[in-house]
Amino acid sequence: MDETNRASRFIHVKARSVSDPRLGDPFEQGVLALLPRLRRFAIGLSGNTADGDDLCQMTIERALANREKWQEGTRLDSWMYRIMRNIRIDEARAVSRRQQTFVDEDAGLSVGHDGAQEATVELSNVDRAMAKLPEDQREAVLLVMVEGYAYREAAEIVDCPVGTLNSRLVRGRDALLAMLAENAP
Amino acid sequence: MKPTKEELAAYADGELDAARTAEIAAMVENDPDLAREVAAHRALRQQLGAHFAPILDQPVPERLTQWAKQQEPVVEPQVVDFTAKRERREQRRSLPRWTYFAAPAMAAALALALFLPRGGSDSPMADYANAQLATALDTQLAAQQGNSNSTRILISFRNHGGEYCRAFSDPEQSGIACRDNTGWRLADVGSGTSSGGATYRQAGSDYASLMAKAQDMAAGPALDASAEQEARSLNWLPRKASLDPKAGS
Repeated sequence: MDETNRASRFIHVKARSVSDPRLGDPFEQGVLALLPRLRRFAIGLSGNTADGDDLCQMTIERALANREKWQEGTRLDSWMYRIMRNIRIDEARAVSRRQQTFVDEDAGLSVGHDGAQEATVELSNVDRAMAKLPEDQREAVLLVMVEGYAYREAAEIVDCPVGTLNSRLVRGRDALLAMLAENAP
Repeated sequence: MKPTKEELAAYADGELDAARTAEIAAMVENDPDLAREVAAHRALRQQLGAHFAPILDQPVPERLTQWAKQQEPVVEPQVVDFTAKRERREQRRSLPRWTYFAAPAMAAALALALFLPRGGSDSPMADYANAQLATALDTQLAAQQGNSNSTRILISFRNHGGEYCRAFSDPEQSGIACRDNTGWRLADVGSGTSSGGATYRQAGSDYASLMAKAQDMAAGPALDASAEQEARSLNWLPRKASLDPKAGS
């Protein structure tokens, strides 16, 4: 099947889902709608687009495999962010070299790493600074300052008290401000 | 009390309650250091937001939506299943509420629901069944009646007074008759089945409303074939021990 055909088939499915509510699986529709935001969080956590999309893909797979654990009426976004975060933790346990990779490839790290997005997102000091944050501070910063979650919601996603989330956010923020001030032109 | 760093961040993020927010706002106004920190926090938030925002506008890579496409082939059977399920659900929903009540006599009743024979007969008496109808009510069993009968017995039951009652339908009228000492007392008589020109006509909502009425009148489930037979052997007059002084001894 060529790409055009695939795309048109996909559009067909989506269009049908919209036109016929019987076919609109709220779970799948919800996941599809969340993809851009999930991807943003994944890229933010991972430090680059390629790893972010890998993380995003694993998150989707795990979400689909566990879809019966999601209770309709509860927030699908928080549930999936939590899954993504848990995958990061699982990965970090298995491979602790990620931090080293960030440092080694300092210059190459960017949201627009794979070239396709170079035009829209430039290689940035922000990426380097984010990459140097401890994971718990990075996720707190991303959830609150990028994803726009309230402290309570972010704390629920990372499964910690609100006060802890607040203090991780401040430490992450201060570290970022210091690094960005250092690198400022 | 001077805010902690955490509190100041929460203030900048609008996370504090109204009272504390007002307190800190007043302090920030009079303290350039605090004001700088709040501004720095908000500027960073804005910078990070702007930095990651373009990702939302990028096309999502195909490998992340592949699962939705892969499921497309299974969509078809799911559609069929779903539609069938919905039809079953609608059938269930549309089943008349007398189905439980009528269950023992359902086979005959269902046949009647579709085809009611038409023919001619005498006009019935106003309150009691005429001779022709009374004969049918006396003799015919709902479970065993041929198409030659002009009167169809739809169902038999006992009302709350213990009387035997029968829902019937013939070309002149349809209704419910309950047997008392005088004869078959008519209740809820409606129009007959002979309005159509064809030999058979489809029974419509009259039938359903008659069955619903029968259920309302009934003290229990409809009589099954053997209970009907027994009732017929009693001439549709229940044994009433209290009315018979000899029976109680």
